[in-house]
Parts: sequence; C-alpha cells; structure tokens
Amino acid sequence: MITGEEAQILGTSVRIAGSAVVFSLPFAIGAAFALSRQWFPARSVISALVHLPLVLPPVLVGFLLLLVFGRRAPIGAWLESSFHIHLAFTAAGAALATAVMTFPLMVRALRLSFEATDPRLLEAAAVLRASPWDRFLTVALPLAAPGVLAAAVIAFSAGLGEFGAVITFASNIPGETQSLPLAIYAAMQMPSGEGLAWRLAAYSFSLAIVGLIAAEALQRWMQRRFDA
Amino acid sequence: MLDAAIALQRGNFSLDVCFSAPAGVTALFGPSGAGKSTVLAAIAGLVRIDSGHVRLGERVLTAPGVSVPAHEREVGVVFQEARLFPHLSVRGNLEYARRRSPAPAPFEIADVARHFDLAHIFERPVRNLSGGERSRVALARSLLAAPKLLLLDEPFAALDGRRRRDFIARLRRMHLTFALPMIVVTHQIDDAAAIADHVVAINGGSVVAQGDFVHTTALPDFQNLLDRRDAGVAVRSERVFHSTSTSDAHVWVRADQVLVAATRPQGLSARNIWQGRVASIAVEDNAALVRIETDAGSVLSRVTREALQELDLRPGATGWAVVKAHAL
Repeated sequence: MITGEEAQILGTSVRIAGSAVVFSLPFAIGAAFALSRQWFPARSVISALVHLPLVLPPVLVGFLLLLVFGRRAPIGAWLESSFHIHLAFTAAGAALATAVMTFPLMVRALRLSFEATDPRLLEAAAVLRASPWDRFLTVALPLAAPGVLAAAVIAFSAGLGEFGAVITFASNIPGETQSLPLAIYAAMQMPSGEGLAWRLAAYSFSLAIVGLIAAEALQRWMQRRFDA
Repeated sequence: MLDAAIALQRGNFSLDVCFSAPAGVTALFGPSGAGKSTVLAAIAGLVRIDSGHVRLGERVLTAPGVSVPAHEREVGVVFQEARLFPHLSVRGNLEYARRRSPAPAPFEIADVARHFDLAHIFERPVRNLSGGERSRVALARSLLAAPKLLLLDEPFAALDGRRRRDFIARLRRMHLTFALPMIVVTHQIDDAAAIADHVVAINGGSVVAQGDFVHTTALPDFQNLLDRRDAGVAVRSERVFHSTSTSDAHVWVRADQVLVAATRPQGLSARNIWQGRVASIAVEDNAALVRIETDAGSVLSRVTREALQELDLRPGATGWAVVKAHAL
C-alpha cells in the first residue's frame, strides 16, 4: 500500500509537472506555430532561446532563474512587492523551473504537428473569409490537436523527473517542492531510506512508461484520423 | 466584371497577362504549365504579384501599394484537390463557410445541399467521400461563403466520363441559379465549351486570345493551342441538341466528327445536316480542313485529299455538314 508520505510526494510531483504544462502550453503553441511558418526576422533568436535549456546544465538554468526571479533579483523583487508572488523556494517556482526545462521538448513536438498541417487547407480557409487568427484557431490548432495532447503528455512525463533546475531554484522542501526525483535523492541520503528510494523509483518508472505509451497512442490516433 | 493585369516572375517562369472577365462564365484555357493556376491564385490574393492590378467591379483588390488580404476579397476558390477540412464532417465543412458569410446570407445550407445532392452524406467524415462527392462538397462550401466571384481550378480533373459531364452540368446550373460570375481553369476544350460564355487563352505566361467563346475559339491563335485531333468549332448547344433541356453552353464539334457532302444527303440517321458554303480550305499533310459557313455557325471538317478532289470542294461551293450529335 501507498503510505501517506509517498502519496504526498506523488501529489507534489503531479502538481508541479501539471502546472508547468498548463502554464507553458499556450506559450509553447505560440512559439511552435511561429517557428513552423515561413522565415521572419526574429526566428533564429526565438529558436535559440527556446532550445537553450536543452543544452545548458539544468543546475545552471536553476541558477539563472535565481538571478532573475530570486527575492533580491530585479524581477523577483518586483513580483513580490507588486503581486505578492514568491517564486524562489516555492511550488510555483518548482513549476516554473520545470516549465523552462520541458519547454523545448514541447515546442519540438508541437512544431512537428504544425509543420505536418497542409498549408493549402489554411488557404482554403482564407478564401472562405477566415482571418489569420480565425484560421489558426479553427484549422491549424484543431488539426494539430493530437500533437498538442502528445506534447503535453511528453512534457508532463519529463517534468515529473526534473531535478537539477528544481533543486537549485526551488530547493527540496517536503510537501512543497519535493517531487519524486528530489525525494529519491533525499531518501538515498538517509541510512534507512533505501526501501523508500526503491518504491519511489518504481512509481517514477511506471509513470514514465505510462506517459510514453500514452504519447505514442495519441500520435497513432492522429495519423488514423487525418490520413484520408 | 473582373479586370486584371498580372505580372510576376518566379525563377525561369514569367507571367504577364492582361484580361477582363465579364459577368457569366469565363474559361481560362491553355496547356499545362501556361500559368493558369497562378493567375487564379493572384486574383484570390494567395500569391503576391510584381506589378499590375486586379479590380472586381468598382473594388480595387490589388494595385501598387494595395493588396486586400485573401479573406477580405470576397473571391471564392474551388481547388483542384477539393481541400476539405479533414477534422470536420460534410456538415461541418458547409457550416464553416456559412458562418463566415455576411448577413443576410444569400444562400442557406439546406438549399445548397439540395442543389448539390448532399443530404445523404451530410453527417459523413470527409475522408469517406468519393471523388465526385468531394468535388460537390467543395463547390457547395465555396458557394456558402457568398463570394462575388468564384474561381475554379480544374475542378473536374479528378472525375471522368459521366461524373465529369454531370459535374459540369451542375456547375452550369449553379451559375444560372445563383447568378454567380465564375472563372474556370481547364485545359480540356470540351469542358471549356460546355461551361463557358467567354474564353481567355493563355500560353507561355501571356494571353493569346480572349473574348466571346464561339468567336475567339475560331481564331488561328486559339486553334494553334489545340492538338490536331481537337481542331474544331464551338456551336451553341441548342443548335446541336434541338432542345433547351441541356444546360451546356456550347458543344465542341471536332473536325474529325463532321462529314461533308457536296449534295444534300438523304437517308441518314444523323439529325444535324447543315447546309452552307465552303469558306476556306486549309491543306494539311494528307488531309484538309474545310471550313463551311452554315446557319448553325461555322463548322470545320477534316477530309482526305482524295475526298477533296472527288467532291470538287473549293471556296464558294455549296456543301452540307453532317454532325452526329450522339458522338459529341
């Protein structure tokens, strides 16, 4: 049976990864759609920024987040005084760090599905009087819907495992920022924690497998639906 | 009334056309690669032009410094590949267009669905439709967006034989019922004749002839675009079929389908025997094209050189053209 402590860790993980996906998805969709269209001036800059977390050490990403959103950092201090929002060492901060780390994965998956959308269908919508924004909402986005779901599942699964950026920016606070990998790490530091570490590792493994299978199934569903 | 001057350069291909399309149906005719589809895309606002203008009635759609975006042009397009939205049903595709037409909508889904025989496939996903059904849905959808002008890019390319004739008849009836000006791209002379009142012939990126269908298609510049076996003339369809039940505009009467008689033929099953006068004779390798001016209009007949001598056909002589309507 699952213990109260384990349930709390799982809950924290799901909350952090879930809010990371929910809040970053609209931005990821915007970035992916922009990058899937023809060339525009800021394209390479946006592309580089989006993909940066893939190549930077996660600890460095966490450190950079502290430099920008820490309590004494300019934006962090402003958020705190104006909106009473604390990011460093909070669950919201853990979600932010997770969102930044999983953003490139999400954009890549979304971009593939926007690029697979036939641009001729957008032309067809245009001559039926649909404005560019209308075409995006009623043609591009619905056609990419399975890809959007798949991207969200992949980002969620990867988000459950985010370690370096989270522990650096949000620390390892049980019930607040202690997600599965952080709890496994903490359990391994304790003399009697091996059993707990094993059990948490099994949860982590199962969630990852379920996520991968779900993403795969969604992609197949997409193909079936639109391969006319 | 559309008035267009379109010039653009894409790699080795250059297009420079200037034409007008009056109310009615205009065929944009020419061989593959002549630039017909590009002309349509430029009128619809789907490609940028280097210079020129596009005016629809009083409204300027393209001019130096002006380019009305495609969705504000009120120009509908039926594409060759139908381009139905795969995430919507037939009904969904039609509603997509209907919702975006300005109020009051000139056409209702029910009327258009009846006109195009769509009731029985209304709830189907579009991937389960046949080629003919897809074309009809695409046509109905474009109509529901209430365009001021409808452009059709080889809309019958996916259809053959009976389905093709059926679709053309529907298109012609649609034009008559809904009073919608149309420009139809095609490289098939029979299709052009059946559907169009006017013709603009394009070859190698420029206009070689334009105007009234019967008159323009008789011009040497137009006939030069045709294959040898397509040489012929356009005849108003009621002259050939002796009834107004056909919705076709013209029938393309090929020179190979017309017999010439030097005396009034008797005991023939053909219903179209037109008396006339030989206007000209153009000698080919081992045959000759005889043009006879008849009451039904000018007719071309291809005869062998031997027949030419035997019948003693020469300009000014009286002759009878025999056209078997069933073969058309």
